[in-house]
Amino acid sequence: MPEPGDALLAVRAGEGDEGAFEVLVRRHGPPLLRLATRLLGSRTDAEDAVQDAFVNAWRRIPEFRGDASFSTWMYRIVTNRCLNILRARRPTQDLGSVPEPPAPEHASSPVRAAESQAAVRALSDAMQGLTPEQRACWVLRELQGLPYEEIAEIVGSTHQAVRGRVFRARRYLTEAMSSWR
Amino acid sequence: MALGDAYEGEDPALPCGRTLSEVWETAEETPDDPHTVGCPHCQEALAQLGILDDYVREARDRDADEAAEAAAADRLTARVMDLVRTDLRPGRTLPLGEPADDAWITEAAAAKAFRAAAEALPTVFAGSCKVVLEVPDGPATVTMEVAAGLEWPLPELAERIRERVLAAADEAVGMTVSGVDVTVVDLIDAEADAGEERA
Repeated sequence: MPEPGDALLAVRAGEGDEGAFEVLVRRHGPPLLRLATRLLGSRTDAEDAVQDAFVNAWRRIPEFRGDASFSTWMYRIVTNRCLNILRARRPTQDLGSVPEPPAPEHASSPVRAAESQAAVRALSDAMQGLTPEQRACWVLRELQGLPYEEIAEIVGSTHQAVRGRVFRARRYLTEAMSSWR
Repeated sequence: MALGDAYEGEDPALPCGRTLSEVWETAEETPDDPHTVGCPHCQEALAQLGILDDYVREARDRDADEAAEAAAADRLTARVMDLVRTDLRPGRTLPLGEPADDAWITEAAAAKAFRAAAEALPTVFAGSCKVVLEVPDGPATVTMEVAAGLEWPLPELAERIRERVLAAADEAVGMTVSGVDVTVVDLIDAEADAGEERA
């Protein structure tokens, strides 16, 4: 069963159709929540950030011209919001002071689950050492799986600068994780 | 692809002459590159990156908790829509019936009724729908953009939508509509459009 495309729904939302906007929120909410959780390290903060981003998007959508896709546009609004939060947070941030709620353990054995959780925690701690911009580019690339071109559009930067940030983030994290193991 | 300046000298060369960024990018773009396969320095650098990749996979897998994600998405949608409904944009008010009736409808509500009328046709999705008064008390003209399945002959599609919108204006809304302009903005290939999910 086909569904109406984002572009059509975004135009309707721009004309005041809140039902069309609700379909967009439902469709794009999950990947945006994942992005914000990975950027902010907290699900509660992520839900607040994505909620604010969507409310902001509802107000601005009459001016949305469809030059970028709706998805890229939302990624940009959410990423900017998260970057502002990270920049404000950064100076007083202790390493590892943003605890993740424990994940449900779906790995096969308790030992394996504990190892896996410790590894993910270690990666999450190591990510605190990245600048907000490096972290955003790396998460969009490695965890969200977006192409460099789209990341450049989302963060408002050049393709080259994005590749540079992803490289530095990888290098930093590779060293951090090698010493952890 | 050489990146040079983007790394501001942070891209060390391995003993084999390749820089770290070259090694990583070659592995992504040309997995069976002969130099990489035979070079111990490149292999060591890739093994280190592989350790990171393992953790990244763990982090991705751990996130893939569908029940928790669905609950969070429902919560998010409800919270966003509660706020959106306090900040609606109903548009202009349009008169209904005779001028003496003092009845009116918002543009958004009229557009909603007309879109629904068009979407009652199979594989038709309505996009923009504008209702414009020619003179202050009407009649109105409706301008609608639609996307529809490939199986529709376009003249027939436009005619069927026009009929439906006029019927809805007359029966459901009670508004005099003198013309309906239909623009087909997209043709939907149901098979090619299946799924556009992202990580």
